[in-house]
Amino acid sequence: MLLCLWAMQPVQGQDKSLAEKTQENKPSPLPAGYAGGTVCRACHPAIYANFYRNAHSKTLVDERVKFEQKGCESCHGPGKAHAEAKGDKTKIVAFSVLPPKQVLDACLNCHAQQMGRANIRRSSHTTADVVCSSCHSIHKAATPQKLLAKTQTDLCYGCHSNVRAQFSMPVKHRVNEGFMQCSDCHNPHGADAPTWKMAARPRMMAHGLQNEEPCLKCHVDKRGPFVFEHAAVKVDGCGGCHVAHGSMNARLLKRPQVLTTCLECHNGAGNFGRNGDGIQLTISTHSLTDPKYQNCTLCHTRIHGSNSNARFLR
Amino acid sequence: MTGIAVTRIGLLLFVSLTVAAQPTVAPTPESVGSNRGTNLSNYNFRQSYELGYRFVDVDGNPDKYRSDVNFGNGIRLLNSSFYVNSRDGKGKYFDEFLLNAQGLGNDPYQFANLRLEKFRRYRYEMNWRLSEYFNPGMTIAYGYHRKNLQRRMQDHQFTLFPQSKIQFYGGFSRNVQNGPALSTANLFDTRGNIFPFFENVRREQTEYRIGGQVQAAGMKLFWQRGWEIFKDDTRGTLSEPGTPLDPTITSTTLSGLRRDEPYHGTTPHWRVNLFTEHRTWFAVNGRFTYSAGARNFIFDELATGAVRGTPRNMQTLVYGDARRPVTSANLTFSLFPTDAVTVTNHTAYSQMKMEGDNNIRQLTNNTLDSTLLNFQYLGIRATTNSTVADWALRKWISVQGGYQFSSRRVQSTERVDDSGFLLLAKSEQSNHLNSGTAGFRLRPIRGLTIVADGEIGRQNRPFLTTSEKDYHAYGARVEYKQKLFRLAAQTRSSANFNSISLFSHSSRSRTYTADASWTPNTKISLDLGYQKLHLDSITGLAYFQSFVLVSGDRSYFVSNVHATNVGVRLALIKRVDLYVGVSSTRDTGEGQAGFTTQPALLAAQTFPLNYLSPQARLSYRLREKMRWNLGYQYYDYSEKVLALQNYRAHTAYMSVLWSF
Repeated sequence: MLLCLWAMQPVQGQDKSLAEKTQENKPSPLPAGYAGGTVCRACHPAIYANFYRNAHSKTLVDERVKFEQKGCESCHGPGKAHAEAKGDKTKIVAFSVLPPKQVLDACLNCHAQQMGRANIRRSSHTTADVVCSSCHSIHKAATPQKLLAKTQTDLCYGCHSNVRAQFSMPVKHRVNEGFMQCSDCHNPHGADAPTWKMAARPRMMAHGLQNEEPCLKCHVDKRGPFVFEHAAVKVDGCGGCHVAHGSMNARLLKRPQVLTTCLECHNGAGNFGRNGDGIQLTISTHSLTDPKYQNCTLCHTRIHGSNSNARFLR
Repeated sequence: MTGIAVTRIGLLLFVSLTVAAQPTVAPTPESVGSNRGTNLSNYNFRQSYELGYRFVDVDGNPDKYRSDVNFGNGIRLLNSSFYVNSRDGKGKYFDEFLLNAQGLGNDPYQFANLRLEKFRRYRYEMNWRLSEYFNPGMTIAYGYHRKNLQRRMQDHQFTLFPQSKIQFYGGFSRNVQNGPALSTANLFDTRGNIFPFFENVRREQTEYRIGGQVQAAGMKLFWQRGWEIFKDDTRGTLSEPGTPLDPTITSTTLSGLRRDEPYHGTTPHWRVNLFTEHRTWFAVNGRFTYSAGARNFIFDELATGAVRGTPRNMQTLVYGDARRPVTSANLTFSLFPTDAVTVTNHTAYSQMKMEGDNNIRQLTNNTLDSTLLNFQYLGIRATTNSTVADWALRKWISVQGGYQFSSRRVQSTERVDDSGFLLLAKSEQSNHLNSGTAGFRLRPIRGLTIVADGEIGRQNRPFLTTSEKDYHAYGARVEYKQKLFRLAAQTRSSANFNSISLFSHSSRSRTYTADASWTPNTKISLDLGYQKLHLDSITGLAYFQSFVLVSGDRSYFVSNVHATNVGVRLALIKRVDLYVGVSSTRDTGEGQAGFTTQPALLAAQTFPLNYLSPQARLSYRLREKMRWNLGYQYYDYSEKVLALQNYRAHTAYMSVLWSF
C-alpha cells in the first residue's frame, strides 16, 4: 500500500482519464469504416467509463499499435456502419452471436502465441465449442485477473457438474475452500500428451516439473526418484489408486479399505507388471484372516517408493 | 443500449453469480457500494475488507471433522481485495496493482495473490497459500498414519517487457510441508511386531527459474532453465517403550527408535518451445523438455528392544543415490484447409529412466553383516500419435472424429529375492493402444447446445489388472441457456474389461447430472443441481488364508453417490440479502454380498455414508458501503457401517464487510 501511495504522486499531464486522453490522441483521419472510441461511448457509456481497468485498454495508449488494433474496434471491427444503423448488431462483430470458431480466431489474433495456449486448437474445450467467450468476459469480468466471467470454480462447475459432486464429498482437495483452483492441475486451453498411462485422454492436465502428473507439483515427496519405485505409480500414474477430485474414502483412495486397493493388482494374474509374469502375490505368511494383514500400509509404509527396501517397508 | 439497462443486466448477472456454487458459508460473496472506487491523483482505488469471527462446535469425532472441514474459532480477515489502476494507462511506476487475500488470521485455508504491472515494462505476480491438513485416515493402517501437517506454498514471477517481442523472466517457488505425523515400523524381523512412532515431518522444495521469449518472423521461441532443490529431513523417534499393535505377540518389545532418512537432491531442467500460427492455413507447435532429477539419500535407523527376552539393538544404514532423467518432446500440426475444417495431428515422445549406483551397501549390526542392495532400474518409453478432425458442416452442426495410436515399452532390472545373491531379473514388455473417437455438436436454436461423443479403445498388454484394456465410453450433454436462465443435463457411461484366462477385471461407471439456475429478477435467484455417480467393479483375487492359497475369489465394489445442491438467494426486503442452501452427498452403496465369503472383503464392498451440509447467510447493508453478515453452516457426516468417525458440526460466522 505504501508503494501505491508513493507511486500515486501526480505526473505532469496525467490528470485526465484514459477516455479523455484517447479522444485527444484520436488520429485524423480515421481509417475507412472506423468510427473511433468516442462514438462507441455515446451508446455504451458504462463499458467506456470502466474500460481503463481492463488489460485491453492498454492498447489505447500504446503508440506502437495501429489504430485498427486499438480499443473497441480492435475486437469488434469497424463500427461506423453499426453506429449509423443505430446499433444494428449485424453490422458489428458482436461476440454474443458469433459462431464459436470465429470467437476463437478473433481472440487468437493476439493471444495465440503464448506458451499455455499452444494446444488450444486441439483441446477438448475447443472441439466441444467451448471457446474464449464461454469463460472470459471482457466487459463484465468477475475477476480482474484473467477477466473470467465468474469465479474459476463456478465456471468449471457450470459444465462439469459431476466434478462439482466430487468436490462436495467429505474427502477432497480444497478447491471449494479457495486453497486450490482447477487451473492448478488443469490447463483449460489444452495440454500436451500425458507421459503416464498410455498418453490417452490428456484431460487438459498442466504437467508437473518432470512432465509428470500435476499431483507431484505439490506432493513433492512422492516424486522420487527412488531406488525402489512402485512401478504402478510411474507407469499408470496416481490414478491407479487415487481419485484426484474427491472421494468418500480416506486419502482419496478408490476403495474404502486399502486391502482391496492393493489386492486387486497383487493377484499374480496373467502377464501384467514390470516382469510381465503377473504382479506379485502376497506371501503365504500373510493370512487374510489376520487383521494386521488386512492393512497393507501398516507395514508397507513407503508405498509410493523407497530408497532402502524393495518391499516398501521403510 | 442505455446505461440503466446495462446496469440492470449487470446487477442481474451479479445476482446470478452470487447464487452459484458457494460451498462454504464464509467469506460473504455479496458486495457493497459502487465499484467506481476512489480517484486519487492519477489512480483509481478500490478496496474491500471483510473482518469477522468464526464459531465452531463439534459433536462426535473431532479428528474426522478436522480432516474434512477444519474451520476453527477466532477472528479472521475473511476476505480482502485492494485494486489500484492507472486512469490513463500511463502510471509513473505501475499501471495495475491487484491484491486479493482470504482467510488471513488463522483459517486453515489461506491465500494471497498479487499482481503488479507497468504496461510494456514489467509484471510481478505472487501467489501465497497455506493449508492446515489433518488426516486420521481410520481405514488406512487402523488410523496409525495420522498427519497434522501445514503446507505453505509461494510462487513469484517477475517478467521484463511483458507485452514486447522479447521478454525475460525470473521466478521462484517454494513448497514447505512440516508438522507431526505418526508412522509404523515392523521390528525386529518379519515375525516381530508393529510399533507406531512419531515423525517430525520437514520437507522443502525450492525452484528457481529463468527464461525468456523471442518473437520474430511469425514464430515464437520460449525457453526456460530451472533448478529444483528438494530436501526431506523428516526424523522419526520413539523415546518410550513402544506399544505393539498386535498384543498377542509378546516375544518382541521395543524400548526406543530413531530413524533419520535425509533425502536431498536437485532437478535441473530445460524447456524449449517453438510456436507459429498462420491462421489462414496452418499452425505448428514444437516442444522439448529435459530434466535430470537426482537424489542422494541416507537411511539411518537405530532400534533397541528385546526378542524373546534377549536384548537386541539393530542399526541399519543405507546410502546411495538415484537419478531420473526425463526427456519428452511434442510436435503438433494444425491445418485449416477451409474456414470450416480443422485437422490437428499431435505426436509425443517421452522417455523416463530410473537409475542410480549399481549397488547400495546396507549395513545391519543386528546380523553383523552387510547386504548388497541392487538398484531397481526402470525405464519407460512412450510414443503417441493422434489426429483429430473437426468439420463444421453448417453453422448449427459440426462433427469431429479422431484416432490415436500409442506405444509404450517398460524395461526393468530387479533383484528377485532377499538372499543377498546377485540374482537379477531383466524384463521388457510393450503395450499398444488403438483408440478412436467420434462426436457431433448441434446448435439448432439460439441458446440450445447438444453435444455427444464416444470413444472406443483397445490395449494389447496393459500394465495392471485394473488398467484400461478393452474400453468404451460415450456421453451426451444438452444445455439451454438464456441470459438469466440455464438448464443443463448430461450423461456419461464408460466400461472397461481387462480379462485374461483365470482372472478378470471389469468396471462400469455411469454419471447422470442435471442443473438449473434461474434469476427472474433482482429479488430472487435459484440454483439447483443433482448428480448421480455410479461405479461398480469386480476383480479377481488371489491371497493366502492360513498358508493356503485362495484363488478365484473376487473383489466387488459398488458406489452409488447421489449428490444434490440447492441454493436460493432472496432480496425481498430492502437492504437485506438472504441466502439459503444445502449440499447433500449420499453413497447408498447397495452392494451385493454374493461375490465373496471372506469377511474382510465383504466389508470393503461398499461404503455407505451421508454427508449433509445446509447453510444460511443473512447480509444486511448498514450503509452504502458497509454490510453486516451472519452465517451458519451445519455439517453432518454419518457412516452407515460403523459410527466411529461420525460427527456433527455447527459452524457460524459474523462479519462486517466494508468496501470503498
